[in-house]
Amino acid sequence: MASISLKNVVKKYGTVEVVHNISLDIHSGEFLVLVGPSGCGKSTLLRMIAGLEEITDGTISIGDRVINDVPAARRNLSMVFQSYALYPHMSVRKNLAFGLTNLKMPRDEIERRVGEAARMLQIGELMERKPRQLSGGQKQRVAIGRAIVREPELFLFDEPLSNLDAELRVQMRVELASLYNRLGTTMIYVTHDQVEAMTMATRIVVLSNGNIEQVGTPYELYNFPRNLFVASFIGSPRMNLLQAVPSDAGPEIEDFGTLPLTGESITGTALTVGVRPEQFTVGTGGDVTAHGKIVLVEYLGSEVFVHVALPSGKTVMVKVPGNALHKSGETIDLSISARDAHYFGADKLRIPVFDQKAAA
Amino acid sequence: MAETLVSERPAAGTAEIARGFREAREKRERRARLLKHIFLIILSFIMLYPLLWMVASSLKPDNQIFGRLSIWPTDFVWQNYVDGWFALRESFTTFYLNSMLVTVLSVVGNLISCSFAAYAFARLDFTLKKFWFALMMMTLMIPYHVVLIPQYVLFLNLGWVDTYLPLIVPKFLASEAFFIFLMVQFFRQLPRELDEAAMIDGCSPYKIYWAIILPLSLPAMATAAIFSFIWTWEDFLAPLIYLNDIKNYTVPLALRQFVDAESQSAFGQLFAMSVLSLLPVFIFFVVFQRFIIRGIAMTGLK
Amino acid sequence: MQRSLAKNTPGYVFLSPWLIGFICLAAGPILASLVLSFTKYDMINPPQFVGLDQYEYMFTRDRRFYKALQVTFSYVLLSVPLRLIVALAVAMVLDKAIRAIGIYRALLYLPSILGASVAVAILWRQVFAGNGVINTVLAQFGIQGPNWLADPNVSLLSLVALSMWQFGAPMLIFLAGLRAIPNELYEAAEIDAASPVRKFLRITLPLLAPVIFFNLVLQMIDAFKTFSSVFIISNGLGSPADSLLFYTLYLFNEAFKFFRMGYASALAWVLLLIIAAFTFIAFLTSKYWVYYENERD
Repeated sequence: MASISLKNVVKKYGTVEVVHNISLDIHSGEFLVLVGPSGCGKSTLLRMIAGLEEITDGTISIGDRVINDVPAARRNLSMVFQSYALYPHMSVRKNLAFGLTNLKMPRDEIERRVGEAARMLQIGELMERKPRQLSGGQKQRVAIGRAIVREPELFLFDEPLSNLDAELRVQMRVELASLYNRLGTTMIYVTHDQVEAMTMATRIVVLSNGNIEQVGTPYELYNFPRNLFVASFIGSPRMNLLQAVPSDAGPEIEDFGTLPLTGESITGTALTVGVRPEQFTVGTGGDVTAHGKIVLVEYLGSEVFVHVALPSGKTVMVKVPGNALHKSGETIDLSISARDAHYFGADKLRIPVFDQKAAA
Repeated sequence: MAETLVSERPAAGTAEIARGFREAREKRERRARLLKHIFLIILSFIMLYPLLWMVASSLKPDNQIFGRLSIWPTDFVWQNYVDGWFALRESFTTFYLNSMLVTVLSVVGNLISCSFAAYAFARLDFTLKKFWFALMMMTLMIPYHVVLIPQYVLFLNLGWVDTYLPLIVPKFLASEAFFIFLMVQFFRQLPRELDEAAMIDGCSPYKIYWAIILPLSLPAMATAAIFSFIWTWEDFLAPLIYLNDIKNYTVPLALRQFVDAESQSAFGQLFAMSVLSLLPVFIFFVVFQRFIIRGIAMTGLK
Repeated sequence: MQRSLAKNTPGYVFLSPWLIGFICLAAGPILASLVLSFTKYDMINPPQFVGLDQYEYMFTRDRRFYKALQVTFSYVLLSVPLRLIVALAVAMVLDKAIRAIGIYRALLYLPSILGASVAVAILWRQVFAGNGVINTVLAQFGIQGPNWLADPNVSLLSLVALSMWQFGAPMLIFLAGLRAIPNELYEAAEIDAASPVRKFLRITLPLLAPVIFFNLVLQMIDAFKTFSSVFIISNGLGSPADSLLFYTLYLFNEAFKFFRMGYASALAWVLLLIIAAFTFIAFLTSKYWVYYENERD
């Protein structure tokens, strides 16, 4: 098992810089997920760790060893690719054994490891098949098997589930999580799907445009997003962002009114108040209330997403329990409690109004 | 709106009209198809007629070859093949063996050297790669005649004239850019993640070429081998320049010798040997047609 | 330094056979023939520098040079368009899913695969002989055909016919190109009540333009290179009356019959420049008449 440390890592393609000066410490044994919209540099970062991309500037080390110039094969890691990248001309058994034979490992040791992986992933009866004879989920298992047999210090996953259908993806997510629990090896996992990130990670790194926006546990990211980007990226449906103007009485939110909240932290010219869909209260129970009209109701069974148009024309989304009855066209009262909301300054950074208390 | 439109007519009526249209259309299409087949059959016949005529003539006595429309021989003169085979100072056995030797070695040379170059261009990263690639593509356009004289001087000074080396050695130096291009096109279709997976599995670039790229490129290799075989077998200019002794002649050179020596009398024998010279190419074509057609579609060349 | 060496080594190892070949068999010879073109060289005595004399002779006094140009250009301008038109026409007949397409395709392509051989050139000589197949067929209709290969006025037609006979290769490329045109476009045109002619002019032709262009350049270069068939059909001389004096044949004879290597090198360089110019013009003008689908304006 290994800890990985990135120091001021930069990646340029020609003159275009796609990863800007990233520093990050990955602890031994953690399941770290790199998440962000496409083009944010998450795959590039993973590929630099893997040794598939050169590092333009900075250093990457595994343990105490700087690995900038160490070829991929000698970094003692294995990787699962989005397209699985199984060797089409080799049987499943050969696919699993290929890396080990390259290491000139004794034959009985190879057989032991391949057998063990096959048992663990329940692919024993597929061993003599070629990849094209496998279903998507089976290919995925073989790809994971090929990563396991090398018994590496570090696993890398590059969007491994995005080629699977929805049902299989949920199933593989569970299997990957239990695999991690069993092996306890450091894992770095890239995805654009925040549900995957939230459910599997011990820690998440949110990236955008080649920068780290925030590093934290799923709980921290959801409850204490450090800036507007993370606030709106993490959580589905997205957080509602309301414009507000600070005043002596407290922030004055459009459509709602003035929140009874004073203190030196709420200053400046503009303010954004973030309210997650489940943090609205239907009715007038909160600190401030707006009067809106329901424009759309999405019924999901266990819960209902209600789209509400406010007097200013802004639409917010509200999540209510599935047994609540709302109809499109009805009027509705929504209220906000100051304690539940998130506050962001003009610089788009979080203003920690209630954080100490909540975290404690 | 749609509902009222449909209900104005009885449902059965609409169905009948639709069926009528469909039948008229199917009839039209059937007739068009038939016309196409007739056209293609006539065209194919015209295209193949000269070849059939040659095969037929190779079995006729010389005085029955010309001036007749019917190509079917009245009596089969198989002797043309025997006489033709031994008509020159050396028998065609020699020429066939020579051609075989040159062709097989050329195919091997092309496959090795062109797949090397193609792998470098398609998969590896090195300084000046784009520059070399552009130059390689330019050599596709250069006519052989432009490099002929200096090459001849070079091989003459090396003492290679009247040996097979000038015909074979260039093939080991990837001199036929067409094959490089064909393989580059094919290699580029192979997912790059395979190389990357192999890299992580501990393969060097050399091992990736050997263990991943090559086994996955057998169709492209087959296409290149077939084209290489056919072109080398039919090649005339290079043997014409470099081979002097009739003992070293390849089949096309021998045929040309035949024309010079006997053309005014022994047409049956000449055609018999011509047919035999095309036979290997024809067999290759029939057996490997699939690869040939795919190769052309893939490169858009030749 | 060490890093760049490690990065470059595998690439250059794999490239080395080609690189050696390129330098020794292509780049070197091209430059060498430029140098030789300024000399008189008969392979027995050392080359003798004569400056631009040979180019001057070529352009001002060598009537066979102009004859060779005339023959070659006539051939290229006749055979390439004809071959491409036939190829496109047959490809369009073959394109719409038709039974036994594989057999037709193979039969029509067969002449292309055999066409470059000496055997076919020998055959062609006899097909176009005075009492050959062509004239026998014409005689059935009461036409007295000319002695094709003895009459300088018509001899080139036999080679144009040979070239047309080999329309199979461009036909296959057109077929692949036609396959790539989405059927929805034709269906949309059908709904818009477009006539077949309009469909051809407005859909097929514009979308096929890149393929046609590519074929045009390649076939032109190929036509300039024509050699073995002419060599056999014209007895290696370009006869009758130099009417088959193809440029390549003229060059070959200057070099290997008369051993005027210097002059032949000058001819080679002019050929190179002609082909380069043709290719250049084709690429230069392509943007006016070739439509690339993923192009932005």
